[in-house]
Amino acid sequence: MSLEYAKNDWYAVADIFCLRDGPRRTRLLETDITVTGPAEDATVTDDQGNRYPVQLKFDHVWTTLGDSPRPLFDIPEGDEEGRRRVPCGVVRVNCSPLRAVENFLDIAHFPFVHTDILGSEPHTEVSPYKVAIREESDEVWATQVKFFQPQAAKSAGDGIVTDYDYRVPAPTVAVLYKTCPPKPEAQDVIAIFVQPVSETVSDVWPWMALYDDASTFSEMAQFQHEIFVQDRSILENQRPVKLPLDPKMEIPTRADMTSVAYRRWLKKRGAFYGALRDGA
Amino acid sequence: MTAFTLYNYVLSGNCYKIRLMAGILDVKYDTVAVDFYPGFEHRQNHMLALNPAGTLPVMTIGEQVLTDTQAMLAWIALNHDPSGTWYPAADPMLGPLVQQWLAFSGRLTNSAGLAGLHSMLNWPIDGEAARRAAIKDLRELELHLTDRVFEGKTWLVGDHPTIADIACFPYVALSPDAGLDHDGYPAIRNWLYAVRSLPGFVTMPGIHHLHELREGADG
Amino acid sequence: MTTRPVGLTRDLPAGRVMHAQADGKDMVVWRATDGTIAAWDNRCPHRGMALSHGFVRGNRLACLYHGWHYDRSGRCGLIPAHPDLEPPATIHATQYGVVETGGVIWVSADEAPAPDDSDLAPLRSFIVEASEDALRDAQEATSADGAPPAPEASDRVSVLCNPIEPGRTQVTVLTAPGLPLPRLRTLSRWCEAMRRQAEAKETA
Repeated sequence: MSLEYAKNDWYAVADIFCLRDGPRRTRLLETDITVTGPAEDATVTDDQGNRYPVQLKFDHVWTTLGDSPRPLFDIPEGDEEGRRRVPCGVVRVNCSPLRAVENFLDIAHFPFVHTDILGSEPHTEVSPYKVAIREESDEVWATQVKFFQPQAAKSAGDGIVTDYDYRVPAPTVAVLYKTCPPKPEAQDVIAIFVQPVSETVSDVWPWMALYDDASTFSEMAQFQHEIFVQDRSILENQRPVKLPLDPKMEIPTRADMTSVAYRRWLKKRGAFYGALRDGA
Repeated sequence: MTAFTLYNYVLSGNCYKIRLMAGILDVKYDTVAVDFYPGFEHRQNHMLALNPAGTLPVMTIGEQVLTDTQAMLAWIALNHDPSGTWYPAADPMLGPLVQQWLAFSGRLTNSAGLAGLHSMLNWPIDGEAARRAAIKDLRELELHLTDRVFEGKTWLVGDHPTIADIACFPYVALSPDAGLDHDGYPAIRNWLYAVRSLPGFVTMPGIHHLHELREGADG
Repeated sequence: MTTRPVGLTRDLPAGRVMHAQADGKDMVVWRATDGTIAAWDNRCPHRGMALSHGFVRGNRLACLYHGWHYDRSGRCGLIPAHPDLEPPATIHATQYGVVETGGVIWVSADEAPAPDDSDLAPLRSFIVEASEDALRDAQEATSADGAPPAPEASDRVSVLCNPIEPGRTQVTVLTAPGLPLPRLRTLSRWCEAMRRQAEAKETA
């Protein structure tokens, strides 16, 4: 565990909706905090009265507990004209924040966990794709990922081969860019912002920025709830609970190149909060 | 032409009862997605005008509105089950027994159902109290289903699945996601499996397909 | 390690999977379509998913997460993400010992001998949130009651314990074979009474 490292990242701790009925009492990195609205001018304090920095980005309130925080990443596509931004609330999962991110980067589970929506047998094969740790941004990227999907998005009708790009801009954040059925020249953006409650408990904030004029907000949010809660019972049943960084502990295959790169990147950065270190 | 309109939230076990019954009896219906979470739309004026209790699901059949889940199951069975086995309302023993387990399913909503909302969506309730109540309910169900195993029977009541099985299924099946494992409930496990094996069965998040029964199985 | 009772043959039909615990080990116990039974470490070697959530296809157990299939020897035979790949022999599930006698499923982490066969019939398997000692005390107290639902000598009740965690015990109850239905129902209610008593004592 490396709490000091983790304290210098930013985390989503509220969205623009949840502060309307009063402050949110929550826990971040084992510290009890209170987030008080309005979202545009939120404050974050702990029980000793310490006040932490706040910024509003991607429809969420972000904070950091560290003294020298690394800058918060950007998702420039989120601001594009015509996109509808859908904060989906928060789901509690009893899992390591890093397991939640790794699962979000995985496509091979689609036919078995998101059956008839994001995948279906016999279309289980994962074709080769590209993975890189981009030096300039120090982010993990997987590109040219393709998968056959029966119903890729709320706006999709029949099955299509969906193209994905995946991006990890911070240890507890994953962003994907995927084929946008009504607007082929653009990509839908879907992300999860994981609030690490502790090393083994995660509050997950899914967020989307979509080109979709046909669906209601409720339909779009429910599509994401359906997908994410299908993952929840997987995430709560992985052992060990913490993500093992020792390559001998879990056996990857070619389809897991993104996960392998993510684990290496965590190790290189020293981002061990929620991880099981080598030989531990 | 659809039979009814369902005001639906995808993570609600009570809404799922209606989708499941309609799936099994192959009844076509329309859905309206209600932003139960994070929007709490069920407590807004336009939804309270439809259902003053502010609960989901709500079902409309033309101008008629139903707001109780178990009543909706009865409506679907009485109108769309030619066999008459899903709701043997007129049978002097089976009818009351179905009523008894429908009432029990209401208790499950307030025990295992609330425990699920607490563990997944941080619902502001006493989660431990809900879990204790759920364990009591699961044990009562296990005792009954063990009696049924002694009798060589599969379902809660009689020789056929009924709306009572559908009403009790969701919050029991979902309870492991609320921290209530099924290790000590073998009769419940086998009954859940029987429900999941029914032709026309549909899933909800937390209750996955029986992949062994699907195409691609090599056995 | 000793051999521990983890469930009833009746409760695990062909093609089905269950979770079991014995001597601090998490196990998956599953029965192939042809009726053979296996007990493994409850962990897919790929991403650590509990195999007890998996599904049986033919005589293979598949993990729910990515559908990796394992044959009865524990060896991985199919990785759906790469259907043409022959999975390396190094990918296999860890096996434990499992036997069935008298309608009871017994597991062991080593080659512990199987228990003797008995002529008793299984009644129920359930979990008590109490220690084995508390359960034994409750068994004695509720048996001495003398009134229904307490067992009678002719029921030949036998209680097997599998301590799975501190303060948590899996209990298997056996009775004389061929008891009539009303007697089975009554003894099932005695199991509940014994559990209530053990748990009340534990929290007292």
